Amino acid sequence: MIRALREVEGGLRLLMNVWLRMPALARAPVRESLLRQVYFTGVTASTGVVLRASGLGALIIAFTMQVLDADTTLAVKILLWVVLREVGPLAAAMVVILRTGTAISSELAMMRITGQIDALRRMGIEAYDYLVVPRVLGVMIATAALTCYIQFLAVLGGMILSPFVIQASFTELYTRFFELVAPIDFAYSILKSMMFGFAVALTCCYHGLNPPAFTLNGVPQAVTRAVTQSAVAVLTINAVFAYLVFGVLFFGLVKAVA
Amino acid sequence: MSGLALRYELKREGRTEVSLAVPGGTTQHARLPDGEAKTRLVAAVLSAHVAGNEELELFGAPVRGLKRAERARLHDRIGVVTQAMGLISNLNAWENISLPAAYHRTRPIAEVAQTARTALESLGAADPQRFLARLPDEMDPFEKKLVAFVRLLAKAPALAVIDGLGEGLNREQSARAARFEAEYRARQPEGTLLFVDLAEEGSV
Repeated sequence: MIRALREVEGGLRLLMNVWLRMPALARAPVRESLLRQVYFTGVTASTGVVLRASGLGALIIAFTMQVLDADTTLAVKILLWVVLREVGPLAAAMVVILRTGTAISSELAMMRITGQIDALRRMGIEAYDYLVVPRVLGVMIATAALTCYIQFLAVLGGMILSPFVIQASFTELYTRFFELVAPIDFAYSILKSMMFGFAVALTCCYHGLNPPAFTLNGVPQAVTRAVTQSAVAVLTINAVFAYLVFGVLFFGLVKAVA
Repeated sequence: MSGLALRYELKREGRTEVSLAVPGGTTQHARLPDGEAKTRLVAAVLSAHVAGNEELELFGAPVRGLKRAERARLHDRIGVVTQAMGLISNLNAWENISLPAAYHRTRPIAEVAQTARTALESLGAADPQRFLARLPDEMDPFEKKLVAFVRLLAKAPALAVIDGLGEGLNREQSARAARFEAEYRARQPEGTLLFVDLAEEGSV
């Protein structure tokens, strides 16, 4: 219980530090570190998701039309709701946790344990400025970009692959999609994915900088804590967003009209 | 430079164990009685902080009670190569050398690059370009020491402290490391260089 409170307090302090230290981005090494983070989290992760994202879109359309016996309109609606609003940001967040979250927490824990963070301080370089700010901002940007990429692949892959599996033409799916899609769907998912990226990076930085033991055994422990708490944070944010959008906005308005 | 660049005293069990006075502009070799004394001296210079049984004066002023800004100004004039070297493992040699200058914007990066290249050439690095692209984990102890030393040269400190120059090096590497002194002196004729080592048995 005390540890949990300490972690919450440490996380909040880290959050404040990140926002207050954004001007550090004016320094060249911090900007370089930011670009490196965006490249690692966004670009190098993108190749691995092509097949999975395309298959996901096709699966959703085929499943909806075959199993639920729905028409193309409902299938595309479900594709929009599921892929654009929910699965896209969640899939990107999971990729980020598994690749970047583990890398950040283990790298920072190793740096802390081997005295490299002390070495930075001795050079007058603040660990928050050089290590935390670019990682948090970089992961936020990259998670949003990765979400867009997964959404694009899932929608396009779904439309291209579905005609091979079910009775629906590409043109029909394409037309329905552009009739039903709204900019708010993208805005919602981008905002949510940025929040996911922020939570994952912050959690992993916190556990990396505060390993439970200052021996090599502390590294896997820090990674385990970072990954499990990142997943919990992502699911919590998702639930809050879902409640705000579907619970308060959508059902609230429906009830008000009724 | 006139006066003392560094004065240090360590008391243990009521008596003075270490007493060190380094005149400015000179090169000195301090041989300390044990590892603890050596670690404490280096840590005191690095942090410009002293414990109750220590006294440290840098450039004629005691460090005890210094304000944060004064301590930071003092750090700008001091360079230390520690035993741990303080290299960042995910940065290559060039990034390790240029990081402080690039972060604090104290010197143009082109100037740091020039210093690094000429220093590496004169200290016998076969291919400086390739050497600078390597990560610390791919280097032997001498090469790591070389990177830390070139980073110190890039800072151009008025007081340079090198902890255990020959420790962990073989005979040939130690001979190459001995050229650090001439290299520092060529660039900082007025600077103060202090080598800190353990006293050999029976010589204290």
